[in-house]
Amino acid sequence: MSDKGHDVDLTRAKQNTGVWLVKVPKYLSQQWAKASGRGEVGKLKIGKAQGKTVVSFNLNEELTVVDCSGEKISSVRSPREHPFTMQTVGGQTLAVFTESSDKIALEGMVVQRAECRPAVSESYMKLKKLQIEESTKPLRFSQRLEKAITTNYKPVSNHSHNLEYEKRKKEEGKRARADKQKVLEMLFSAFEKHQFYNIRDLVDITKQPVIYLKEILREIGVYNSRGPHKSTWELKPEYRHYQEGQEEEKEAAKME
Amino acid sequence: MKATSKTTNHKQVINSTSYSAVMTSLGSQGSSSSSSTEYVVRVPKNTNKKYSIMAFNAGDKVSCSTWTQARMERDMSNRRIYGEEETQEGAAGSEFGKKQREEARRKKYGIITKEFKVEDQPWILKVNGKAGRRFKGIKKGGVTENASYYIFTQSADGAFEAFPVHAWYNFTPQAKHRTLTAEEAEEEWGRRNKVVNHFSIMLQRRLREQERGGGDEDEEEGEKGAKKKKKGGRGGDLRIHDLEEDLEMSSDESDGSNGDDDEAKAKAKKEKGAKGKGKKKKKKGSDLEGFEDSDDGDFEGLEVDYMSDESSSEEEEPEKTKPNKGEDVPKGIDEMSESEEESEEETKNEEENKEEEEEEDGKKTPVQVEKKKKKDSSGESDSSEDSDIEGEAASALFMKKRTPPKRGGGRGSAGSSRTGSRPGTPSIDNAATSNTLRAAASKLEQGKRQTTVPSSETPAAKRLKMEPSPQSSSGKSTPQPASGKSTPSASDVLLTEDAVRRYLIRKPMTTKDLLKKFQTKRTGLSSEQTVNVLAQILKRLNPERKNINDKMHFYLTE
Repeated sequence: MSDKGHDVDLTRAKQNTGVWLVKVPKYLSQQWAKASGRGEVGKLKIGKAQGKTVVSFNLNEELTVVDCSGEKISSVRSPREHPFTMQTVGGQTLAVFTESSDKIALEGMVVQRAECRPAVSESYMKLKKLQIEESTKPLRFSQRLEKAITTNYKPVSNHSHNLEYEKRKKEEGKRARADKQKVLEMLFSAFEKHQFYNIRDLVDITKQPVIYLKEILREIGVYNSRGPHKSTWELKPEYRHYQEGQEEEKEAAKME
Repeated sequence: MKATSKTTNHKQVINSTSYSAVMTSLGSQGSSSSSSTEYVVRVPKNTNKKYSIMAFNAGDKVSCSTWTQARMERDMSNRRIYGEEETQEGAAGSEFGKKQREEARRKKYGIITKEFKVEDQPWILKVNGKAGRRFKGIKKGGVTENASYYIFTQSADGAFEAFPVHAWYNFTPQAKHRTLTAEEAEEEWGRRNKVVNHFSIMLQRRLREQERGGGDEDEEEGEKGAKKKKKGGRGGDLRIHDLEEDLEMSSDESDGSNGDDDEAKAKAKKEKGAKGKGKKKKKKGSDLEGFEDSDDGDFEGLEVDYMSDESSSEEEEPEKTKPNKGEDVPKGIDEMSESEEESEEETKNEEENKEEEEEEDGKKTPVQVEKKKKKDSSGESDSSEDSDIEGEAASALFMKKRTPPKRGGGRGSAGSSRTGSRPGTPSIDNAATSNTLRAAASKLEQGKRQTTVPSSETPAAKRLKMEPSPQSSSGKSTPQPASGKSTPSASDVLLTEDAVRRYLIRKPMTTKDLLKKFQTKRTGLSSEQTVNVLAQILKRLNPERKNINDKMHFYLTE
């Protein structure tokens, strides 16, 4: 497998890089995904008012268009102002690490946590209403059809599948008894691959009539009627060497 | 980026310090009402790096800056559960078309096996190499479901870059020290009120593991070393009940079953967790062949106090009554043999207690010594009548000689720090295979050692153990004929050898009958004491036995 332990790149960690962890609403992250160019999505305003720091995010104009399913141009716009609520990184020490295809790096520690909230406005309410409507729609719904469907289940004299099957069978014809030696070779090579075989599978492999095949099998194999491998054929112990060089030994054993 | 006049200053400030500093510095500049700076926020699109959060508990005091070297890899230990790796493919043992058949079968029954996703596997983080800390990071679910987390970092040009967080992992430090497994922890929890020295728990476990690694075979008691090992091993398996261990140690395969029965019986009487018993059973079964798998037989032959020659009666009884015991045990508290076993067990407990005390000292040898000692004593009592008595006696003798000095030391300390935890705890020390022989030996050596024992009787080793529990001391442990009597406190009826002899001469009696004769109210002894003393006396008298109405009666003919 890949990824068998990577040494973590600690350069950024040593620099004590600090980052912010910001929780962003889903719709906003969707809008951000639509950003073009370098990826500018808006502006972050950090200020101080009455002794408290105020952070607010302003979404770019072009990104406020909300995609609605089923409508070309929506009248709903996402809000633009998003004040941030700052929180402490109290009971947890949070670090950020990145995984790329070939390495893992520690990017830094979280020094501030924040939540991005939309400024409550008419547009936001409309947006939310839209979202709720969408989410309450059931995935499956019943639909009335104008016309009954008459293209299924027509009666047919013989199904195409059946016709093909019969044609195939005709071509194959009855299985012919091949040379015993050849059959034995086929059997041995099959048993090299697997230890237990169903009679049906052997018939398929060897293309021999069942009775003939069974005769041959009785010579070289044994039938498990019970046990974990029920109703399967396997080679007799003297023919079995499940390491290397079986063919010759089996043949030799058989000859005797 | 829209810049105010103060942007450049801010930029410098930001680049050099953390963001909290930024905040404060901002406040210092600009007008009083509000001053703000604007930064462009970018969400880079082309990054191939996936950001994840590594969360540590604040209490773990993790500081990434102190890490010199770190290594992270996925923990693949769950693969076999999900992956369902096939045992073999091709050639021997495989069937033609097995996979397809299995798949078809699973579809038919609607079995859906979850995929093994590497992405969801926990991380293993190793910091500072081999000697450093280890952490396991488990993925936290539901992080990206309803809201997205972004990491805002400030880039060189003062703009913020936001990266979405892909996954959140909670990292917890992994203990490097040994811990108990769940089963062991449950055991210990059950014993928490009885065990005094909790520090010894891990010590015991370590010892056990060592010894178990060393000697796992069932050896005859011939070799001291072997015995010791075995004892340790047994102790490991059968930690809770020393009696059982004693039995196993002392009685070999030949009387293993006897031992089992006795142990079981004695155990049955004590208030032992059924679970512990079951566990022991299981372990015993696995470890020793030829042992009966009945609860009753566990403590058979658990005769701790008695010298070999005196334990004969006890030996016989357990063996003979073993078949019956199966049914009797649960209710046969009255039966003498059971009471004897109980007494044995008690003594064993005491010894265990003693051992526990000793371990408080933190010495390993005393523990082992104790183990052996216990083993000896039980062995002695158990097999007094068996063919391998000699072997045991011999070993016991060895131990006797060897252990007394240590014993003494241990004793002293133990005695002083005795607690009253003796009564209900057969389990106290794993080591405990209290050996009557050893007890006897120590008794002989030390004479009256532990003084706290209320009864002024023989300074049996048991005595010492019985210290915490004054009740026990009543004459229970004396192998010596000298103090044949139990502590006769002021009472009308004295539980003496003569008294018992008189009764037995007059007519055959069962142990139950005998007990009735010496009622606790009249003799002033507790029921346990009575039982113990009576057992001793019977041993000394060695009465004849007869089965009347399917009950074992004793009688003497003089």
